[in-house]
Amino acid sequence: MSPYDSATSAGSSSGSSSASSSTKPADIDGLLAGAGYKVRASDLRHVAQRLERLETAMVNSPVELSQLASSDTVHYNPSDIASWVDSLLSEFNHTPSLPSDLPDLPDIVVGPGINPTVKNEADATWTDNDAPPQQQQNMQSLTIPPNQLTVVTAMEEDSGIRLVHLLMTCAESVQRGEFSLAGSLIDEMQSLLRRVNTTCGIGKVAGYFIEALSRRIFTPQASSLFGGSVSGSASAYENELLYHHFYEACPYLKFAHFTANQAILEAFDGHDCVHVIDFNLMHGLQWPALIQALALRPGGPPLLRLTGIGPPSPDGRDSLREIGLRLAELARSVNVRFAFRGVAAQRLEDVKPWMLQVNSKEAVAVNSIMQLHRLLGSDPNRSPPIEIVLGWIRQLNPKIMTVIEHEANHNQPGFMDRFTESLYYYSTMFDSLEACTLQPEKALAEIYIQREICNVVSCEGSARFERHEPLAKWRSRLGQAGFSPSHLGSNAFKQARMLLTLFSAEGYCVEENEGCLTLGWHSRPLISASAWQAVPDANSPLGIVNHHHNNHNAL
Amino acid sequence: MRQMKVEEKEKEKKAKFQMNDHIDILIEVLKRLDGPSLGVAACVCRLWCTLTRSDSLWEHLCFRHVSSPPPSSVRPVVVALGGYKRLYMVCVRPVLSRLRNSDSELVWTRDEVQLSLSLFCVDYYERRLGGGATSASSLMFLCNPVNV
Repeated sequence: MSPYDSATSAGSSSGSSSASSSTKPADIDGLLAGAGYKVRASDLRHVAQRLERLETAMVNSPVELSQLASSDTVHYNPSDIASWVDSLLSEFNHTPSLPSDLPDLPDIVVGPGINPTVKNEADATWTDNDAPPQQQQNMQSLTIPPNQLTVVTAMEEDSGIRLVHLLMTCAESVQRGEFSLAGSLIDEMQSLLRRVNTTCGIGKVAGYFIEALSRRIFTPQASSLFGGSVSGSASAYENELLYHHFYEACPYLKFAHFTANQAILEAFDGHDCVHVIDFNLMHGLQWPALIQALALRPGGPPLLRLTGIGPPSPDGRDSLREIGLRLAELARSVNVRFAFRGVAAQRLEDVKPWMLQVNSKEAVAVNSIMQLHRLLGSDPNRSPPIEIVLGWIRQLNPKIMTVIEHEANHNQPGFMDRFTESLYYYSTMFDSLEACTLQPEKALAEIYIQREICNVVSCEGSARFERHEPLAKWRSRLGQAGFSPSHLGSNAFKQARMLLTLFSAEGYCVEENEGCLTLGWHSRPLISASAWQAVPDANSPLGIVNHHHNNHNAL
Repeated sequence: MRQMKVEEKEKEKKAKFQMNDHIDILIEVLKRLDGPSLGVAACVCRLWCTLTRSDSLWEHLCFRHVSSPPPSSVRPVVVALGGYKRLYMVCVRPVLSRLRNSDSELVWTRDEVQLSLSLFCVDYYERRLGGGATSASSLMFLCNPVNV
């Protein structure tokens, strides 16, 4: 387009806009008019799109930009933004290298019950004349969530947005049972994935979700590999290893351990016999710090008993006992009287309180790091495992129960809701992991997270145990089960802040939430820590004694 | 540096005063050095090397800037977990350097001391866990996607 053509078009459109401004003043957007720009309200969306494209074009071709700034360029009336942007765009030699069927930005945002016809790739174009009414509707109600995926380059951004778009569509078709459509979408996504950077950002996360979806669609029976009781000699060992690397690569577990330890330490103040029950011992990384803190507490250390629950280890290894020995060795070095007991159970609901051998004189602390959510899957034939377990915990009358859980809502009945939630949650988590430079810790931590994703997305029924629920739900659940919240003190908060400064990048934030602490990435909480006490039962005498252990069989 | 002044004095007074004969003074001097300087001092001669290895020097270094001295129960714990020199290298130095950006006057709080000790303990424990937790060569297959 030659400058003269643009000038005439600019002239005509500014003519028309001034004409329209005299006849229909309401048509011009009032806010922009205050800033000196004349844009028709109905054109706003069009102008916004054009500005985006202009920015893309400017970013991608600095050569043309310098031409634009040269002295023989005619600058048109900038107050008429619509035509000014159009004319600038036309001056760039290349057409924007975007796929022509790229949907408009407002469509990315997903709410429940998006009409799938809007998402049909063939219909969506850049022009707004033939935009179906739903698109306008989406625009009105849109808010890009604050935890939107980080955007890299313009091209990346579009492919990334398209990937998210396709993921949502695929998940929706899975929910509707349209598996053939879902399958073809998987193929499309996989081909798009080849053109996207999969080592970071949206490409990486999308890759995992695509894999999880394809497991769900194509091989549902194999997804039991990640669910329920995983057999095979390497599995418990694998899990422990991945867990350990997740511990090293990012601060979530460290935050969990230190916060729980602080609460337990404070609860044990003044007691000489203390008993900690750990619902998931793993490598016992939480306990050295507690042992050391107890060793140095004023008044001297108590007698510490630790009962560690974990999966049984096949092929003769007793991993629980090995960890117990290491912890005992540490305790001996720092002169803390220590006794360890291992309880091997494939699932937490298989543990019976008599196995823990709690005696009435000791102060009990129950420590659950991301274990309670596994009990939320319920069989209609039996009472829910969570109620059984919370029941016997309460019977033990613990001084404190520390509960650390994912701050996410991955247990909703609708698949689409779960999928959307988990996409945002795990994108944020992967984002936070980008800062880690330790290898192989980072790679194995990613595999750890990937397994969670697979379980949330591709498993159902009893195989799906990653049933994360947010803090608000846990509060009501634990309140109903007879527990009252015990506020984590300022010491815990200070310690968490200090810990973050030591171990991680900018971007993590610790927040206090009604006596509970949450650790998150850029104001999205990802993990929550809370402490609870059992409300004394009105029916039983004070100091509930567990009578079961009198008649137990030795393990 | 005070060593330099001493050496000059030594020249002037024609070997009347030998630093190495006065170990108590030497220790007092070494107590006031920072970590890197202690490391340098260790390379001077065998006597200095032995002296700088003494854990009490590093204990002094670790808690030099604490507002109130740590309770006596701390020492056996630290010694059991690897000693003050290791505590300094593994915990105190990184903690101090990251928690304090530009303060020249470093004053530790009790919370920071506590945290350092806890981290030191975790470090000791992880070293004891040793090979089992860190050998990843047998698990390289984990890096490849599972094809069912």
